[in-house]
Amino acid sequence: MKTSRRGFLQLGAMGTAALTVGSGAAMLTGCSSQQTPAEGFKTLREVDVYFLGALAPAVLTTKGYPGALGKDARQRLLESLDTLMTTLQGHALSQLQMAFDLMGSPVTRVAVGAPLHPWQEATVEEAEAFLESWRDSWLPIKRMGYQGLCKLITICWYSQPENYEISGYPGPPVKVPYPYPATGE
Amino acid sequence: MKRTPHIPMVAGIPDPILEGIAGGWKVQDAADVTDGGVINADVVIIGTGAGGGTTAEILAEAGLNVLMLEEGPLKSTNDFKMDEREAYHDLYQESAGRMSKDGSMSILQGRCVGGTTVINWTSSFHTPEQTLEHWANEFKLEGASKEEMTPWFERMEERLQIAPWPVPPNPNNAVLSRGAEALNLEWHVIPRNVSGCWNLGYCGTGCPTNAKQSMLVTTIPGALNKQSGLIYNARAERLIIEGKKVLGVEVTALNSDYKPNGNTFSVKAPHVVMSCGGINGPALLLRSDAPDPKKRVGKRTFFHPVAFNFAQFDELIDPYYGAPQSIYSDHYQWLNVTGPAGYKLEATPLHPGLAAVLFLGHGGRHYEDMGNLPNTNLLLALIRDGFDEESPGASIELASDGSPIVDYPVNDYIWDAFQRAMISMAEIQFAAGAKRVRPSHLDAPWYETVEEAREGINNLDNRSNAFTVGSAHVMGGMTMGEDLDKCVVDSNGKYHYLDNLYVIDGSVFPTSIGANPQLSVYGFACKFANQLVEKIKASA
Repeated sequence: MKTSRRGFLQLGAMGTAALTVGSGAAMLTGCSSQQTPAEGFKTLREVDVYFLGALAPAVLTTKGYPGALGKDARQRLLESLDTLMTTLQGHALSQLQMAFDLMGSPVTRVAVGAPLHPWQEATVEEAEAFLESWRDSWLPIKRMGYQGLCKLITICWYSQPENYEISGYPGPPVKVPYPYPATGE
Repeated sequence: MKRTPHIPMVAGIPDPILEGIAGGWKVQDAADVTDGGVINADVVIIGTGAGGGTTAEILAEAGLNVLMLEEGPLKSTNDFKMDEREAYHDLYQESAGRMSKDGSMSILQGRCVGGTTVINWTSSFHTPEQTLEHWANEFKLEGASKEEMTPWFERMEERLQIAPWPVPPNPNNAVLSRGAEALNLEWHVIPRNVSGCWNLGYCGTGCPTNAKQSMLVTTIPGALNKQSGLIYNARAERLIIEGKKVLGVEVTALNSDYKPNGNTFSVKAPHVVMSCGGINGPALLLRSDAPDPKKRVGKRTFFHPVAFNFAQFDELIDPYYGAPQSIYSDHYQWLNVTGPAGYKLEATPLHPGLAAVLFLGHGGRHYEDMGNLPNTNLLLALIRDGFDEESPGASIELASDGSPIVDYPVNDYIWDAFQRAMISMAEIQFAAGAKRVRPSHLDAPWYETVEEAREGINNLDNRSNAFTVGSAHVMGGMTMGEDLDKCVVDSNGKYHYLDNLYVIDGSVFPTSIGANPQLSVYGFACKFANQLVEKIKASA
């Protein structure tokens, strides 16, 4: 594996062995999984949507999406994550996507501690167990994946204005831009 | 009852950038530059942060034809709506997600016209005397004693209206002054580069009132008013080097998603100034295969790695309102120069997005901590890295796409300082009346007493990614001085191995500074830029 910005896949010998599961090894070389964004997104692929959507309720609280967004919560979070990931430089983004591939692919997923069935069928309890195993792992790459996931999800969640009330933040002053006349293009 | 912000509205604030452009400034989006074009100037300045802005104004006032290049977008006062989402996306490197190689350190750096000065928290300090002495002794830096540098710092203090903050500290900062006072520790008021500040607390999302004297509202307009040019969304790919001369720079145009839009152009100039900072600067030189016989480019980059301590109070703290940093303590900074690292103590503003990241972790405890934000105080310790040989700093490497990778191991030397600093902060917070305290570490529970905190912190583990290591200060990577075994830039800012390349930014510092860096950058930039003017005039 090449040296990477975040070292996501900078695996020692033990780490590489743990992830070489039968024919799974072929999937890891070259990261051949599809790169096409899912419908309605600029950067998030279908595998990311299922994976992040399954983990987010466990990251935010043990009971699902807190706050008042209701049924819009999941979509709003995914859109916010999509916007953030679109600004990551190409190298950092490809490393993150590789990590999500590891966690999402049917072959490697089990080796990294994810449940047997696809992420879209995972329960909050399973997501919680997966998060804890990565948080407490002796493998630095898993601890890094855990921190990265939590940071991404929580920063996108709590910086949305509808969610200020969860933290008790009254919000910023209203900024009224100076009304310059519109210039022609 | 729903609470409202202490100041409900900001209106009637003019935007000096929009007005300047309407008045005829030479400002251009790189997308509008002809593909394959060549632009000529007397001086090209790569980067428009503290170093680039300062240099541009000085050179423009001397009558030189200056062209500034900036990788980031052009955002200005009308855009600054105190919204974290917009700010991180528009103004910060990688949406505030820039990290070190193993993920353990989060690096906040600006990426926009005006650079990090647009998003910083205004703290302004002279380079400490101990630091200047260390640089002279260990790196043969000449002409930078305290007596020689003070006039330059004073010039920039005047230019940027830097003065000790006269308004009482907000509750978040008062925890530091109150606690330090109770323990008989030395503390002082922070000088800030502001004029007519509304005491809002949104320096980090772009000042919405033009009070913060960032490069965006001072030196860059100054240079543009003297017919300098500025091209933004313009990423410098490589310097064009022939023998010992830099002919110019190859530039890629970026679109609004920060991706190359397919156009490239080049800028040719007899004098080239790099003001890209301690990460992007070394990366640019590495991509350019610049001469570097001792392989020192990209070595010794330092970060003032930051340890964080939360405290909960019964009373409201509202850590998101009021001037973000107004009190500091150097009590533990200079017990020695080398040996165990010293640290500077300050407060951190907490808006919800940043708070969510710094609380660390997930689930029930994280959710509960977030809900207590209005009663939460956050102190930080800036660890003074780089002075001891056990603190060699980071090396900057290139990823396969040419982007920089920061390899900064948080070793036991740094971790020892973290533990001492966390204990110091806990002592201050309890002395100030905190009900409970916890450092930003996954294993640390809320401590209810100072004894519990001391014991608990001493038993915490230096486990990568188990605790927050922040950085808002990038220093070094292109060390200045006359010792060629260690240095690549000379005592006047010229790159040792090329005739016409100057490095005028924070990458030249041989160690970390031991104080928030901006005034150090302004002071050295003012000196180097004036020296460059003299040199160019003399050779004309």
